Amino acid sequence: MIQNDKLIEQIVDRYDKDVGMLIPMMQDLQAECGYLPVNQLRDLSRQLEVPLSRLYAVATFYASFRLAPKGAHEVTLCMGTVCYLKGAPSISEAICREFRVEPGGTTRDGLFTLQAVNCVGACAVAPVMLVDGKYYDNVTPTSAIEILYSLATDKAIAEKEAET
Amino acid sequence: MTGLGNTRLCGPADLERMRQELLSRRVPSAKSVHVCTGPGCAAKGSPKLYELFCAAVSQAGADVQVQAKAVGCHGLCEYGPIVLVQPGDIFYQRVEEPDVAEIFRETVLGGRLVEHLLYENPATGQKADTVDKIPFYKVQKRIALAYNGLIDPTSIEDYIAAGGYTALPKVLNGMGSEQIIEEVERAGLRGRGGGGFPTARKWRSCRQAQGSPKYVICNGDEGDPGAFMDRAIMEGNPHSVIEGMLIGAYAIGSSQGYIYVRNEYPLSVERLKQAIEQARELGLLGQNILGSSFAFDIRINRGGGAFVCGESTALMASLEGRPGEPRAKYIHTVESGLHGKPTNLNNVETWANVPAIINRGGEWFASIGTEKSKGTKVFSLVGKVVNSGLVEVPMGITLRQIIEQIGGGIRDGKHFKAVQTGGPSGGCIPAEHLDARVDFDELTKLGSMMGSGGMIVMDEDTCMVKVARYFIEFLQKESCGKCTPCREGLAQMLHILNRITAGEAEVGDVEELGVLAELLEGTALCALGKTAANPVISTIRYFRDEYDAHILDRHCPAKECRGLFRYEIDPEACKACGICMKNCPEDAITGEKKVPHVINQEKCTLCGTCWEKCPFTAVLKV
Amino acid sequence: MPTVTIDGCKVEVEKDATILDAAKKAGIWIPTLCYHPAVSSDASCRLCMVELDRGDWRQLVTSCNYPVRRDIVVYVSSERAQRARRGVMELLLARAPESQELKVLAERMGVTETRYPKVTESQRNCILCGLCVQVCDEIIGQAAISFAGRGVDRTVAAPFRQPSEDCIGCGACAAVCPVGTIKVRIYQDQQEVEISPFKSRAKLLVCQQCGAPVVSVPVSEQVLDKVEMNREEFRERLRLCPRCRQLQTAAQLGAIMVQKK
Repeated sequence: MIQNDKLIEQIVDRYDKDVGMLIPMMQDLQAECGYLPVNQLRDLSRQLEVPLSRLYAVATFYASFRLAPKGAHEVTLCMGTVCYLKGAPSISEAICREFRVEPGGTTRDGLFTLQAVNCVGACAVAPVMLVDGKYYDNVTPTSAIEILYSLATDKAIAEKEAET
Repeated sequence: MTGLGNTRLCGPADLERMRQELLSRRVPSAKSVHVCTGPGCAAKGSPKLYELFCAAVSQAGADVQVQAKAVGCHGLCEYGPIVLVQPGDIFYQRVEEPDVAEIFRETVLGGRLVEHLLYENPATGQKADTVDKIPFYKVQKRIALAYNGLIDPTSIEDYIAAGGYTALPKVLNGMGSEQIIEEVERAGLRGRGGGGFPTARKWRSCRQAQGSPKYVICNGDEGDPGAFMDRAIMEGNPHSVIEGMLIGAYAIGSSQGYIYVRNEYPLSVERLKQAIEQARELGLLGQNILGSSFAFDIRINRGGGAFVCGESTALMASLEGRPGEPRAKYIHTVESGLHGKPTNLNNVETWANVPAIINRGGEWFASIGTEKSKGTKVFSLVGKVVNSGLVEVPMGITLRQIIEQIGGGIRDGKHFKAVQTGGPSGGCIPAEHLDARVDFDELTKLGSMMGSGGMIVMDEDTCMVKVARYFIEFLQKESCGKCTPCREGLAQMLHILNRITAGEAEVGDVEELGVLAELLEGTALCALGKTAANPVISTIRYFRDEYDAHILDRHCPAKECRGLFRYEIDPEACKACGICMKNCPEDAITGEKKVPHVINQEKCTLCGTCWEKCPFTAVLKV
Repeated sequence: MPTVTIDGCKVEVEKDATILDAAKKAGIWIPTLCYHPAVSSDASCRLCMVELDRGDWRQLVTSCNYPVRRDIVVYVSSERAQRARRGVMELLLARAPESQELKVLAERMGVTETRYPKVTESQRNCILCGLCVQVCDEIIGQAAISFAGRGVDRTVAAPFRQPSEDCIGCGACAAVCPVGTIKVRIYQDQQEVEISPFKSRAKLLVCQQCGAPVVSVPVSEQVLDKVEMNREEFRERLRLCPRCRQLQTAAQLGAIMVQKK
């Protein structure tokens, strides 16, 4: 991770201080930090000479922005029409019940953040779930839960390997 | 990639030389394996197949002339992963990793077919070895998708060798702005994003508008759930969009373009970025394009996750670093758009059609389609059809032809109930109108719209009230919240639809929905709000009986709405295995060995576990 | 200059004046909520809808921001226009049932009740007209508050729902709020002004004589920046509240009179 106090400067320079590129700037910030930290946003507001309230408005308007840290993995469930008709809500319910998480929220152990998204454009293989950008097609409540449990196992294995 | 050095092209002659050079390197007897990596096939792991084919190619030895290509969405996603072998257009479907070696050995090297991978028509049992023998493809006419499946979208050389960047030099070589616009006008091209506004008229208004600089924008926000046409074009043939924008910008007098891609399409962003860099390298973007005085460059912006940003003024607000809130269009964006300057915004598919129109002429384009809707349209045909995927057909084709001939009819032996077109701004069309011709105006007469091209097919197991509720919930979540009728009105409509699907409706609810629909249509600020009630109104129009059943009988005829239907065990199908009884969380099922089990309706909470678990499908929804 | 025929009444207006301008000139009342002459018109409340004659059809448009560029015919009192405005008002009444100001406006429009239940939450009757946000941004230049969230979760808030550092406690937002949501609260003991519900606070300059609040410190500093005046003189003028200053001046005049005698 780039040194914090230089991060905003770098981002602003990357886009030539163009306020029109505010959303890409915030996307870069979130890509770097995992979410949008308040102090970084204050810094961005100062350097761009744009009121903080505007950054807050943008951060809370667009669904992809997070103002709180996310989990280790990003789980995205498509809720487009076709996925919906093929049972996406029951998959969502099952995941929420099993892992005790709300859509948009993060599991207590920080394993994953669950997002619902309106259509990822892979409608022919619905229902679709993404884990860290990797597509899983034709998922069911059972298979989705299995996939997510394997994330936990992977994490445990990775931690064990890190220890040795 | 091809060792041509990719030096800047100084003029049209340079470009032509490059094209000829590329073509001359083609060996007629060379084989080519094309692996589809469109959204559907990629989700099923086709990139790995491509890797395996590449490995096979490199192991084949220098004397074997063969290459492997990863290509854009070919269309028949249902049967993916798809692999094509050229020459000959040999079509293999549902290819898996172990099949790679067999295909390479048998077809590529040996010239023989691998029978078990050929497409088999489920209706006739006939196998098809080439693309043109498959009903799904036979009826299609491909302009925007012409190069999908043919070229490697990450290679500008492929695009040029296939004939791309032919329209651009033609334009720079001596077509004036008005001449270009006239050609597009002759073609009768109308916006493919849903609005259907005549493209030439828009270009002309922008060209004539006062103010500078002028901007051209490509709307790649494709928010309609169920639609992935633009994604397939951006990922399968990004240069067609760039070339289209170059031509449009030249005609309008713009030197700065933007492509706005929704956040949920990172691969589209990557492909477009790559394509833009390649174009810049060759001098097809930037200053003095092909030696002319024309300068034009493109910037890519990602959306932040907001369906409303598909609306042109909201998109422009987003490009200004603001929340994506639409504004009044009493002053059009061609006059005052991005940063208050004249701006021309067109959809991905619209731009992708422009090079073909310039190359083959407006008259040719206008010879396809209907009187007021010229050319072709790409549709995403999804839902309960046998062949789901992406299709491109001439305007004027009927719904029946699309769903039955191309789509192969309804899957799992079910029956057609409705087709939802036009996304959340559209409506549901029932069986009685299957012979309606699909174009900009016909579907609107039926209470729906063609929209951006999403076509979701539904069968008898779909509750139309629930469909209406789904769309209203979607729109409520995506509403920007700026104007009262959309923000409050959709919440009120959802409240009513929730009551209806929960069996708590009141007489008069349908009329209330109608009142709210009229209010939204008349007073909402933008098209999202104005058309938001279409799914509700069209389902009330054609499926009023379902609404009445929910409201008056507290019954869901499609048996989807929980609590509005019962579960019963069919005594003739029940084998008394006891699985349902063991799994019932309420102990509501009784039965002994060899005696058909029975559900106690008083205890039953309608969780559906028995229905899911029964191995003999003896649990019925009633 | 284009002519607007509004409910049969012909008025001439400047090019790019709005239908609302024309209506005012013609003496025809159109209800508004998010419109204010001091700020730009977003036309977000949708209350001021009127029908515009398009020949073979009529278009519903918002009068506060529709620019008049040629001769047009407008209907304010038509059945459809009234139905549209009343429908919008009914939705607003459902959202903010406790606002007296809203009820008064509704009654003037002929709407005494709403058929809709309350299904959305509003902060203390806020109808999201956005005037407070616009005033703070366009006129005051502080942009201390903005819209946050989207759709039914849209609210007006200070960044991160914390008291805003950019708020200068001027109360302009409270002054434009049409439904009484925003209030200026004076906390005498702490010598602070708070803009509720944003919880933004600013220190107050109080009268050195009677202790009454005079103006917030940040406002005084802003004014000082914008006005050409000697700092000391300016500070001196703010020492006393208007009433005490009057008394002081009167006393000084009285002393002079006595001296003269």
